[in-house]
Amino acid sequence: MSTELERRLEGMLAATPEPEPGAGEEALHRALRALQPAAPARRGLRTTVLVFAAGIVLLVIAAGSLAAAGALHVSFGAKTKPHPATTQLELPKGANGIAAIVDGRLSMVTKDGFRLQGLPVSTAALSPHALYVAAGIGNSLVAMAPNGRRAWSHPAGGRVVAIAWAPDGLRIAYVVHVGRRFVLRVIYGNGIHDMTVDRSVRAVRPSWRADSRAFAYVGAGGKAILYDLAHQKHSVVTTLTPVTRVFFSPVGKTLIVATPSEVRLGGRTVASGQVEALGWFDGLPVTALAARKGAWIRSLGQHGRRVDNFFVPGRVVALTGGIVVTQTPAKVLAGWGREKTVTSLLRVRPSASLAELEIG
Amino acid sequence: MREPSDRDLVRKARRGDREAAAALFRRYWRDAWRAAFAITGRGSLADDIAADGFERAFAALGRFDDRRPFGPWLHRIVANRALDVLRAERRLSDEELPDTPDPAPVHTTGDRGLLAAVAELSLERRVAVVLRYGVGMTPKQIADALDLPVGTVNSRLARALEQLRESLEVERVD
Repeated sequence: MSTELERRLEGMLAATPEPEPGAGEEALHRALRALQPAAPARRGLRTTVLVFAAGIVLLVIAAGSLAAAGALHVSFGAKTKPHPATTQLELPKGANGIAAIVDGRLSMVTKDGFRLQGLPVSTAALSPHALYVAAGIGNSLVAMAPNGRRAWSHPAGGRVVAIAWAPDGLRIAYVVHVGRRFVLRVIYGNGIHDMTVDRSVRAVRPSWRADSRAFAYVGAGGKAILYDLAHQKHSVVTTLTPVTRVFFSPVGKTLIVATPSEVRLGGRTVASGQVEALGWFDGLPVTALAARKGAWIRSLGQHGRRVDNFFVPGRVVALTGGIVVTQTPAKVLAGWGREKTVTSLLRVRPSASLAELEIG
Repeated sequence: MREPSDRDLVRKARRGDREAAAALFRRYWRDAWRAAFAITGRGSLADDIAADGFERAFAALGRFDDRRPFGPWLHRIVANRALDVLRAERRLSDEELPDTPDPAPVHTTGDRGLLAAVAELSLERRVAVVLRYGVGMTPKQIADALDLPVGTVNSRLARALEQLRESLEVERVD
């Protein structure tokens, strides 16, 4: 028999709010991706397949023997081409993977043939060698394995706005929007041991030092801060504010920082202008400075000496994987290597917004 | 036209029918979300836990015994995921927890005393109460969902009600 207390409980719990429609759409997308159609197990078919496979194996062994004896030229079909993708994201030569976020949706291609398209995310980052991708999905940090399956998911307590994977792959630094603040956290690469590093930072992607023992980030006051994991120590790198980008060299311990109007290297201003992107090419810091109808790409040597300076049309989206990625007025993304050859990476609708692009 | 049964949808979804899977999702998304919300009290966590629950359920659909009802099985996954997340949070020090959790919108229902009392329940009792009075599952269904003997579920529910009555009594005296 239902007591008054039970009726009160039912009434209270019935007043639980409804889920937001956007959350449902995102969850449906994730759920459908997890769907694995099971092949009907039919003994007859299985036997046929096994017999066929055994025949193929015997044929291969025989052909191999003949080939070894020089009696037969063996060729197994044409060179495999990647499946035509509905997205036109293309993997540049020599890269392990490429990930782009267009209109809040992640597309990704790896050299192993993994393609991901249209996953709603807030931000994403490739792991070293593009073996995994970590993404902000809903209020979780999610890591996806090369086969497209989710490796792990960690409730972040808010929207993840920036992710940086350590070069050794063992840790991930990420910035999450919690309440009115951005919180910086570090989690192990396998999704455990989440810890808060700084409870108030700016929504800027942290940058790991090459030894994976420290990383730079931008504190709430706009200063670049170095966090040493071994000693759990924070130290201000430069009093320059407001820092908008930090980027460690892929080798060594050199940090380059940028404000909206200048780039600093080792405490010296090495470039002035509207900074569109920062990066490292062949061990040299590179910056993109906005210009009329394009940008100047400037690589810098020792003491900020200018090593190379060339113009690219369009807005520079990223300096990544040795490639300058731009979005041209024709809304075609392309990569310019230092040889200034052009490769088309992605075609997007004219109205589309490209938030991030990373080549690993 | 007759609505397809859960079993029909599960069988089609297993064969890769995305429409059937989406229909199954739409049928249970609201309940799964509300269960997750009722357990955690946080909308942002409920989004993730319910989504996670569906993702795990769909990934394991091939192993699901379709002679059993889909709803309790899904709720079991969602409830267990919610428990895992809350336990993991409890293991973290206060330092590491975000200090601005989502406000629980059930505060607006007016039964604040009861809500506070429910929040005081242990996780295990709270889950039993939510599944019984929020989702409307029978003790047998809850037992199936949580892999517990029915006697344990009845005992948790009885003790939870007793604790709630005591808390509300104290509140009235205060």
